[in-house]
Amino acid sequence: MTDRPVPVPDRDSAPFWDGVHAGELRLQRCGGCGAYRWPARAICNRCHGFEAEWVAVSGRGTVISWIRTHQPFMRAFQDDVPYITIQVQLDEQDDIQMIGRLADPGAQPVIGMRVRADFSDRPLVVWQPLGS
Amino acid sequence: MALDFADKAAIAGVGYTEFSRNSGVSTLTLALRAIMAALEDAGLPPDRLDGIATHRVGDSIPAAIVAQAMGITDLRYFTDHFGGGGSSHAVVGQAALAVASGVADYVVCYRAINARSEFRMGGTGRPAVDSIETQYQAPYGYVAPPQQYAMVASAYMHKYGITERHLGAVALTQRAYAAANERALMRTPITYEDYLASRWVAEPFRLLDCCLETDGAVAILVSSAERARDLAQRPALIRAAAWGGGQTLLSNRQPEPGTSSAARMAPRLFRMAGLTPADIDLAMIYDCFTAAVPLQLEDYGFCAKGEGGDFVLSGATAAGRSLPVNTHGGFLSEGYVHGWNHIAEAVQQLRGAAGARQVAGADIALSTGAPGYVGGVTSALILRRDL
Repeated sequence: MTDRPVPVPDRDSAPFWDGVHAGELRLQRCGGCGAYRWPARAICNRCHGFEAEWVAVSGRGTVISWIRTHQPFMRAFQDDVPYITIQVQLDEQDDIQMIGRLADPGAQPVIGMRVRADFSDRPLVVWQPLGS
Repeated sequence: MALDFADKAAIAGVGYTEFSRNSGVSTLTLALRAIMAALEDAGLPPDRLDGIATHRVGDSIPAAIVAQAMGITDLRYFTDHFGGGGSSHAVVGQAALAVASGVADYVVCYRAINARSEFRMGGTGRPAVDSIETQYQAPYGYVAPPQQYAMVASAYMHKYGITERHLGAVALTQRAYAAANERALMRTPITYEDYLASRWVAEPFRLLDCCLETDGAVAILVSSAERARDLAQRPALIRAAAWGGGQTLLSNRQPEPGTSSAARMAPRLFRMAGLTPADIDLAMIYDCFTAAVPLQLEDYGFCAKGEGGDFVLSGATAAGRSLPVNTHGGFLSEGYVHGWNHIAEAVQQLRGAAGARQVAGADIALSTGAPGYVGGVTSALILRRDL
């Protein structure tokens, strides 16, 4: 569908979406303490350093939650209900968690499922069960 | 030991509009009706008001416009806070600081929304204003509070073995209270079978897990305790007010969704009050969705982590039991004014004016704002009956 919202990068997040376009999951890594930051932002919430570099991460994570939306909250998704949305915790750091969906919208996630980022549906990141 | 601030400020008046699905009037009109009702309740002439405070998310009239409409020519205190239900109790707590310090004498705090007929939180798919997360979430069809809280609930339920039996018990308990509340939008008793049969909204939430999108306003008049004692009603003293640093899943500090920001704030709140959870006679727990109730019962220390579901299922929160919770029916059954009808109900109970739903021995009440997941902040009040 054409009227679906697409990611609108801002001045902080553009390199993240450039990474997705290039087929990589890139996060900021703090130049001071090495902690990852996501969403993109100027300062590290651990050491308060402004320095950071954008690095590609493994793209591996774990499904820590999922929901199935039945109510058509958004017109652009009204033909898709019910649809599943997942929350993925990245391997690199347990407090970096992304909202997304499985690459196969019909697949049933389970909490604890291991997944990897998949870039077949750009500009979005979707997730494949690890091993598939 | 309680902070010096404890009991210095009070809630001297409460005012409501009718709660409905279509008010037919502007949010300005709703605000003015609730404010005038609160002043009448307190017996305070309108020209004594010198402070005004609200919060909103692009869905209501600015506080300055309401102050002008009320003819406040020398506005000594104002708050026009950007935020949702996490801010509700903070607005009242900050007004308490203002009157306790002498910055202002009488501050009226309010929330006025046409949350059903104009700005539906859950129905329009309108993403949060000023939100950096929209770009990361809306493309997946994920924008509405029922989805955000369902995501929290799904992880919470999985981790602690909370089931639909527990969530259903929250809905049933609160509907039973609403039956005795003439203000409540939903008063027909429900069974567990009714709960299970209600349609899915966002699994694990059914319709009866969700609060009622409501048109309405509530106003809370705050003054010093001393001034409140000269007005018409028995004051509800503000024993403690606390603000919580918010954690959302995007905050890079919240690895575990099943524990809310309230868990960090609650010890501070109770310390400020010089009280413990065992001292609380009744609680108004922010029930935007059923799962938020057991989760906060744990985070405020009424039971251990993971036991909130069994706590509700045991009947402990029902009428006449150890901790009556949401005695007006809550947002699930009375109506949803983003935290404000919780504060008003706590005051009614402490006055002994709650009619058929009056809790015996209601001396100390907790009332909580949204636990922080969506807006990133939380807040709560402990109120005490003036003796």
